[in-house]
Amino acid sequence: MLSVKSVTKLYGKTIANKDISFEIDDGQIAILLGPNGAGKSTLIKCIAGLLRFKGEIRIDGHDNKSIEAKRLLGYIPEMPAIYDLLTVAEHLEFIRRAYRMEDDGYAQTLLERLELWDKKDKLGKELSKGMQQKLSICCALAHRPKVIIFDEPLVGLDPHAIKELKKMFRELKAEGATLLISTHIIDSVEDYWDVTHIMTNGSIAATKYNRPDDDKTQSLEELFFSITEGVTQ
Amino acid sequence: MGGALVYLLLMRLKNTLKSLIRSPGKLLYLIIMIGLIVLTIFSGNSSTKGPDHAFRDIREFNAVVTALYTVMFLIIAAGGFSRGGSIFSMADVNLVFPAPVSPQKVLFYGLFRQMGLSLMVGIFILYQYSWTHMTYGINYGTLLLVLLGYGFAVFLGQITAMVVYSFTSSDERSRNLVKAVFWAIFGLFAAYLVWRVLTGPEASIQNLVTAANGTVIHLLPVGGWLGWAFAGLGTGAAEGLIGLGISAAYLIILVCLVVFSKQDYYEDVLKTAEIAQSAITAQKEGRMVETAPANVKVGKTGLGGGFGADAFYFKHLLENRRSKTFLVSTQSLIWIVVSIVMAFFLRGLGVLPVFSATTYMQIFSVALGRIVKELTKPYIYLVPEPPLAKLLQNLREGFLTSLTEAVFIFVPIAFIMKLSPIDTALCIVARMSFHLLFTSGVVFIERIWSGASKTYAMLLIILVMIIISVPGIVAAILMATYCLIISDNFTVLCSLIVVNIPISLLVLYLCRDVLQYAELHNN
Repeated sequence: MLSVKSVTKLYGKTIANKDISFEIDDGQIAILLGPNGAGKSTLIKCIAGLLRFKGEIRIDGHDNKSIEAKRLLGYIPEMPAIYDLLTVAEHLEFIRRAYRMEDDGYAQTLLERLELWDKKDKLGKELSKGMQQKLSICCALAHRPKVIIFDEPLVGLDPHAIKELKKMFRELKAEGATLLISTHIIDSVEDYWDVTHIMTNGSIAATKYNRPDDDKTQSLEELFFSITEGVTQ
Repeated sequence: MGGALVYLLLMRLKNTLKSLIRSPGKLLYLIIMIGLIVLTIFSGNSSTKGPDHAFRDIREFNAVVTALYTVMFLIIAAGGFSRGGSIFSMADVNLVFPAPVSPQKVLFYGLFRQMGLSLMVGIFILYQYSWTHMTYGINYGTLLLVLLGYGFAVFLGQITAMVVYSFTSSDERSRNLVKAVFWAIFGLFAAYLVWRVLTGPEASIQNLVTAANGTVIHLLPVGGWLGWAFAGLGTGAAEGLIGLGISAAYLIILVCLVVFSKQDYYEDVLKTAEIAQSAITAQKEGRMVETAPANVKVGKTGLGGGFGADAFYFKHLLENRRSKTFLVSTQSLIWIVVSIVMAFFLRGLGVLPVFSATTYMQIFSVALGRIVKELTKPYIYLVPEPPLAKLLQNLREGFLTSLTEAVFIFVPIAFIMKLSPIDTALCIVARMSFHLLFTSGVVFIERIWSGASKTYAMLLIILVMIIISVPGIVAAILMATYCLIISDNFTVLCSLIVVNIPISLLVLYLCRDVLQYAELHNN
């Protein structure tokens, strides 16, 4: 479970995130939707413990900067986080060792699913941007995190990887993991989400739930444009 | 040249100057850089005021300048065998190339722009006033002449690379042929130097200096021509014009080759434009580009050890192995060679001036170290280990590298300067103490100003490293003045070690939770 309470992030006098609060339960997929510059990536980095902020973020009840929280967290950054001089397989070995895990073959499964196993001996710097993104996803999932945050995960991926990743989203949800996915492409958000928070100017402007009894009169796209452009389609 | 290209050139220049004035960080950086140049002028002038101050043979300096021009030309021109010249940016490729402007005009636009950039690359030469004035009596006008020659050598290197790539990129055989001729020419000149050193009438170094100032080396492509021009123009001798004339003629031939023989050169500059763009993008995204050879030898795979925080240490060892050319990185190798060359020319002044210069260069090697690269990736923050353990494991590799560098620098210097084993060991330990000190400076900056922009971060690193060095330097001066023990070297080096280490450890202790509070470097 992920809990965000009154999170505010300032860069000097610029407010990147203003008093943001929400919760995501186990087995739920939440979407952060918003235009460029809405503050989605900043919030994601605050949750991952990469930025300082005011407020409180808890991962399964632990403070997000604690060792217990870090053990439960997986983070896929917007820009692939790859080491130029490590091979694909060594990236996974590094993560496994750093997280004190034995090799149970899970890393290989991930690489195979994202069609990277045949590139296992290639250096990070030799991979294309899309392959780097796939490797970054494998690294984030290799230690079997319970709370996973994705920052624009589908950008740069090929059709097979997009299909596979969406399948992984559903599998992780079914296993009880908590997922937060940030995106600015509405079309990439299909019906696998449980809740969507629409962000503008550093704040959450609206929240929409995907429940059978929820209001169906306005689609997610219509709601998004009514907020960002004041237009009802 | 087309009006649009003139407009583009002028607007880029104008906006660069405007951005300097409008950004307080950049302006401050500029002021400090100018201040440091002024400081080197004062320190250089004050050291040569004595009536009996004797300068070394100016021919030695001319030889160094010729070597510098030759090395720069060789490195850049040889790039033409794998990629083209880098005189265009990605913006030029995307906007200027498809525009209805003739390729010749675009070429001249690129050449004009490159001339300015080539001079900027050589700015470091202006910081060499102090020791060059002290040792050879070089004035600032002559140093500017060195800079101009350096810019011209870099510029000619770029154009040569572009021409070589244009004519050989599509044909493996012709590329190998040109490559063989290229290296054969420089090999012949190198063999000539070796022959002169071994068979000359004087000591080997004097033979080398005499040969480097002789007619044969003056005919060495670009480096020799420009060295000849510098030596002549520096002393007001008309023969310098010959070297300059040959260089200018070479440039004209290269431009004619591009303009008249093969007009479609756009493809030839695309690869380097893309490489340069990816470096700019990496900088904007807060990533640091690895300084690794173009073709990395992967070798044995696997980290080979580490569990928890020390996985970082084993990863760093693996990365070091792949980024090295000869036990140390290429960058370190250059610094080591520069230090040894400097020691040779300053051998009459004792080891301390050379130690100071190598320590100054050490600031940059620490500022570009593995820990700083690691801070641009999320893993150092995400891995569930205690912050202090992660910090120490990420600093561990730096000490090994620092020890290797120190041995590589001071053992040859000990032979050149005939240092005692104790002085040599003290130099190595003192350099290690500065590594510890500068590393603690980096950690301190992360603790206090993490997430600062690239411009501010570099400025802060230099400032903080200078400030934390002050106590050790003051202690060394006081001890050498009032309480000399055994010798100057012993007193100064021991004072530095005794003061630097406790300060470093204190700073590291106070910043032990830095990874808990630091922000990811990602602008």
